[in-house]
Amino acid sequence: MGYVAVRGGSEAVARAEELVACLRLLGGSTPLQLPQIRDQLRHAVSRAMHEGALYAPLLAALAVKQAEGDSIEAAFLLRAYRTTLPRVIASLPVSGRDMLCLRRISASFKDIPGGQILGPATDYLIRLLQPTLADEDVAAVAQAAEQYARLVEMGGRRSGEWGCFPKVADYMRQEKMIVDIPAEPVSSDPFDITREPLTFPCPRSARLQAMAQADTSSLMSFAYSSVRGYGDAHPTLVELRYGYLPVQVAHPLTGEAITIGEIEATEAEVASKAHSVVNSNEPPRFNVGYGFAFGQSELKVMSMAILDSVLTQARAGSLSGESGPAADEEFVLLHCDGIEASGFVAHYKLPHYVTFEADLRVLDRARDHVAQRPTRLGQLVDQALEEQV
Amino acid sequence: MLSVSHILSCSPPHLVCALADEVLARYAPDAVTFISGPRCVLVQLRMVDGVAGMLFNAGDLLVTETRLELAGQFGFGMVLGRNPDHATALAILDAALRIPGDPHADLRPRIAELGQTLSEAYERRFAAAAATRVEFETF
Repeated sequence: MGYVAVRGGSEAVARAEELVACLRLLGGSTPLQLPQIRDQLRHAVSRAMHEGALYAPLLAALAVKQAEGDSIEAAFLLRAYRTTLPRVIASLPVSGRDMLCLRRISASFKDIPGGQILGPATDYLIRLLQPTLADEDVAAVAQAAEQYARLVEMGGRRSGEWGCFPKVADYMRQEKMIVDIPAEPVSSDPFDITREPLTFPCPRSARLQAMAQADTSSLMSFAYSSVRGYGDAHPTLVELRYGYLPVQVAHPLTGEAITIGEIEATEAEVASKAHSVVNSNEPPRFNVGYGFAFGQSELKVMSMAILDSVLTQARAGSLSGESGPAADEEFVLLHCDGIEASGFVAHYKLPHYVTFEADLRVLDRARDHVAQRPTRLGQLVDQALEEQV
Repeated sequence: MLSVSHILSCSPPHLVCALADEVLARYAPDAVTFISGPRCVLVQLRMVDGVAGMLFNAGDLLVTETRLELAGQFGFGMVLGRNPDHATALAILDAALRIPGDPHADLRPRIAELGQTLSEAYERRFAAAAATRVEFETF
């Protein structure tokens, strides 16, 4: 059997792609329309956007459809599309303080200014399948509109009340409950991992950017490992908010701030336990980490905030006990990108005939070596025995 | 209080385009010169983190951008998503509202109306969320 390099196969590759397209529709079901995906598979669309690092809900819906629901593939498609467009400008700084919240909770304080708003959430429900969804038809759309009108009525529309709230972290900072993040060299622009390679130790802005586009499951696993025992994270949710963020850019003629629209986003701050000071002369305070993602992506932002806190403490040397792999910034940031990771793992499916032929030669040499060893050993043993005589 | 750009970028595109069409009706067909676009481009989102107030790049936003001149007045339009009509309407309205002498002052009350409608939509949106306001009891 011989192993050799190959080329070609274009026709087979094209037919394989056709077969994918056929199998998607062969069941006879009505093709999905993009607004359906955007509106009814919100979390899949959110995930494609934040992992693809491109806010474009309708295109994300297309990516989800094309990827047949594979979240990593959908994010890959979006990120690839992003590379085809010029980046013309950066937005003016956008703060979560300006979010028009639909959901806003704190696990740290029961009473927070403005109150706790559960918003659209299933956290408190028993996980039971809803058989009624299986037979849903267009009448359900009208019912949803009526139900929404009832909720509006119950909530009570008040003039100028759009869901703006003060940040809980600001209150904690005011009360000197949380540590000041160590200052980094002031730069006009934050680090951009799409333009410069990550080197370690990296600026915190690079860490936040890397985690904002990271694979949700990877971040969750790293954060979980640190919380569960392979680390020192003891998080409490300071605040989680989800809603609409207005985005502004500078007008090219006048420089004035102009709004270009609103994005859906989620952000969270998470506090760790109160040992987070290096200098014992300072009073103990909480360390706080930050998480942000496009869309409604709560698991992602909480995992990100936990890891941000752990990595900040690790750099400051204020972790106690086991630091664990999640405290290794290089390990976390170089292995949390789903597209890079999936690309590397999946590329092993592609032909590796030349590489494998080299492996086979190594195997052959190793076998020869093993086959010869008894003879040489025998010679050595014989020689040793002779010398003893 | 919503800014004019907020109102025009967040209101239903067809209503904004209708306003721009009214402006265009007052000019000769060759009054508009496109400088660039409408084209899809990226805007890098600069977020302020909630812990240290530090800036970081949180990803890119797909936007449509148009730069033009309306009767010699520069106009700029940018809106989230792929919507060349909306971006161009924004650029036309931007130019129209900057023309010296404010010949399109009549647009302002129309925009204020859109702002009122948008404001009410925001109030309804939050009212639905406010229905889920919770006060947990502690033991």
